[in-house]
Amino acid sequence: MTTLDHAKVSESRPNPPKSLITKLNMGTGMIVGIVFAEVMYFWGKSMWDRQEAVMENRILTLSMFAWCIGFLIGIGAFIGPFRWLIGKDLTDEEQLFLAGKGQGVSRYFRYCTDHKVVGIQYLVGVMVMLGAGGTMAMMIRTNLITPGSKWVNAEIYNSLVGLHGITMIVALIIVSTGPFGNFILPIMIGARDMAFPRLNALSWWLLFTAIPVLCSAWFFGGIPTGWTAYAPLSVQAGGGMNAFIVTIIIFAISSAIAGANITTTVVTMRAKGMKWNRVPIFVIGATISVAMAIPAFPSFMASQMMAAFDRTIGTHFYDAEFGGSGWLYAHLFWIMGHPEVYVILIPGVAILMEIAPVFARSPLFSYTTAVVGLAGIVGLSFLVWAHHMYISGWLPSLNGPFMVTTEMISIPTGLLFLVLLGTIWRGRPWMKLPMLGVYALLWNFLIGGITGIYLSDVPADDYLHGSMFVTAHFHYTLMGAALTGAIAGLAYWFPKMTGRMLDERSGYISFWLVQIGFQVLFLGMFAAGSQGQPRRVADYEQAFATSDLISTIGAYLVGIGMIVLLYSVVHSWRKGKIAPMNPWGAKTLEWTVPYPIYLENFHEAPVVTSDPYGYGRSEK
Amino acid sequence: MSTSTEHVMHHDAPEVVGRRERLGVRLIIVADGAFIFAMIFSYFYLRNLNVNNGWLPADGHTFTVSSGWLLALPFIIAAISHNFGQKRRESMGVLSIVTFVVLAIGLVMQWSQLSNMPFMLAEEGGFEGAYASMAFFLGGANLLHYVLGTFVALGIAIRTKRGSSTGTHETWRLRTAGSWFTWLAISAVACAITTSFAAV
Repeated sequence: MTTLDHAKVSESRPNPPKSLITKLNMGTGMIVGIVFAEVMYFWGKSMWDRQEAVMENRILTLSMFAWCIGFLIGIGAFIGPFRWLIGKDLTDEEQLFLAGKGQGVSRYFRYCTDHKVVGIQYLVGVMVMLGAGGTMAMMIRTNLITPGSKWVNAEIYNSLVGLHGITMIVALIIVSTGPFGNFILPIMIGARDMAFPRLNALSWWLLFTAIPVLCSAWFFGGIPTGWTAYAPLSVQAGGGMNAFIVTIIIFAISSAIAGANITTTVVTMRAKGMKWNRVPIFVIGATISVAMAIPAFPSFMASQMMAAFDRTIGTHFYDAEFGGSGWLYAHLFWIMGHPEVYVILIPGVAILMEIAPVFARSPLFSYTTAVVGLAGIVGLSFLVWAHHMYISGWLPSLNGPFMVTTEMISIPTGLLFLVLLGTIWRGRPWMKLPMLGVYALLWNFLIGGITGIYLSDVPADDYLHGSMFVTAHFHYTLMGAALTGAIAGLAYWFPKMTGRMLDERSGYISFWLVQIGFQVLFLGMFAAGSQGQPRRVADYEQAFATSDLISTIGAYLVGIGMIVLLYSVVHSWRKGKIAPMNPWGAKTLEWTVPYPIYLENFHEAPVVTSDPYGYGRSEK
Repeated sequence: MSTSTEHVMHHDAPEVVGRRERLGVRLIIVADGAFIFAMIFSYFYLRNLNVNNGWLPADGHTFTVSSGWLLALPFIIAAISHNFGQKRRESMGVLSIVTFVVLAIGLVMQWSQLSNMPFMLAEEGGFEGAYASMAFFLGGANLLHYVLGTFVALGIAIRTKRGSSTGTHETWRLRTAGSWFTWLAISAVACAITTSFAAV
């Protein structure tokens, strides 16, 4: 059932005319949010002297939180809990209204609990974030086109780097589990909705409130610290840091809610007959990813709350003069930060492991190995954080053990390579757009993985740390693998999400522009990093000029490719060829439902009788 | 993946929904636990580093050891009261009110402690050192737990009074709330143990 836990649904009156729920939407949310923020701002100004930085930070931070709370009140997020509190639970009709029944496009602007609506909201949100982050990347590369370029000043350059970083990190964390984890995953396991539909909507709208907060950083001096926001630098930075801190705190709460929701859905709501060894590998990957975020992200949230308290009330968590320590921040940040790399990576790789059997028309090579590989990455990812602190001076005697754990992580990662290679080996690849992503990942992730081994090595890291080499490495991993997987997933599931086929011609053009541009961009950056060019610096020596020029040309190619992809998505969504129910001949459950998908996904609950990758062999 | 069309009920049984909600709450507890662990780790990390002897300055102030335990007590009583009540449903009416009142008192006590911290530097508007910062942070987390606990307890008290807390699904919900109250007590005890180690 989409929103009802139990009890019979009355079909007589789907839209309750007198309920407050029917009157609330994104517009009321924004009005109440702005009013709350304004009231908090002026109350704060009247209470505290705004001349002092601490007081100004306090007022700004509280105003940003007030916006978020006000927005959620205004859109109706708290009606359910309030009604529970007073013992008047939402009626069946109200729950159906929340599910968006009979509301058309307006449900995308409401607190809608239908997982398919939430999936589309995430998809559009992610595209906006990638667009903003990508635009900032183009500005960064434009400034680096020649040495001595003054296209933007150093302060703005620093903010561009910081905002590009955090925008892309947040976007990539949700790029697969947001749209596909919400829209596709429940149908894939034969569920009628997510386990907690109202929490599902809350996780999206919480994230939505963070977007204007992060954008507001530009008006308060930007984020001069890079996305890592190392303390005490972040404590000393201007008002824009408040926006960063509030964004991270909101995002961590949103992630915990989404993680609990998706994990519970997969554990408890699988279709009859879907034993664990019959669960599609994307579902396993997405679940592992969000479940990993549950214990990892709270330490990031704690680190930012401490920074907020240092900035707003005068605590000394990171101030060495009063007993604080910058190392504490590094620990809390990277205890989250390295698992977070895999939170981003695993769903993208899992999508491609889902796609490979469909287009190679051969069973997934060693399903068990794939699961063991994913589990191994999760286990080791919590034991490697201090490789980011080799040269920080913190316990050099532990560098060796952390080097070993970091290098060990290449073993389970290698298993995933073997699974993909084994799947396409002697298969008969159907070279459609989603399948191209598999080949792109094998190339990009190989380079990203091998250069990661260099960086895990203490002596090599001593030289390469803080250079463009590191930037190129993690872009090969996050963009070359995770984003490639997500784009392949979009091409693969586009027919199911929109009812139309993604235009192939523009899709191919986009793919080759992005992939060729990507290699030019980041191979050039590897060269500059190997020569010693530091990252996060607005200017550079003449010696790096050729590498940087090549990188900037590559960046423009990527940018053009992404614009073509955007055109392809928008054009296909509006006027694309109508998609058949199962255009790829895939065997997973989402392809058994027609478009538009029924509110409860299935007219009759499916029963699974075979594994999802039984191509070319008799059913078991 | 082949499918067959065996017909099943569209509405899940209360036990199924109850187990689902319990798992969801347990996962949220894992997240909250990770947050509490991060704070306790930070406390002992800064205490053991004692950078520039700034953990607890020579003339610095601390909360009394007993205050941490005193503030954990309402959580413990509330957990016992609620879990006892959900096992003996006939006494749930009274015990749900007891749970709420105890948590409300704890909320006031925690607010009072944070409002009267002995280690604020009035002239600078800041804190004395790292201990003072950590004690404030742990107290703030306790306060947030009190707010959440009081909200849930108030809801249960009102629903019990209105007779809404009947049926299999509500029984599961009370059991799930019991897990939450038990976790709140455990985390408060963990914070009390932590703040018992103030001096280096």
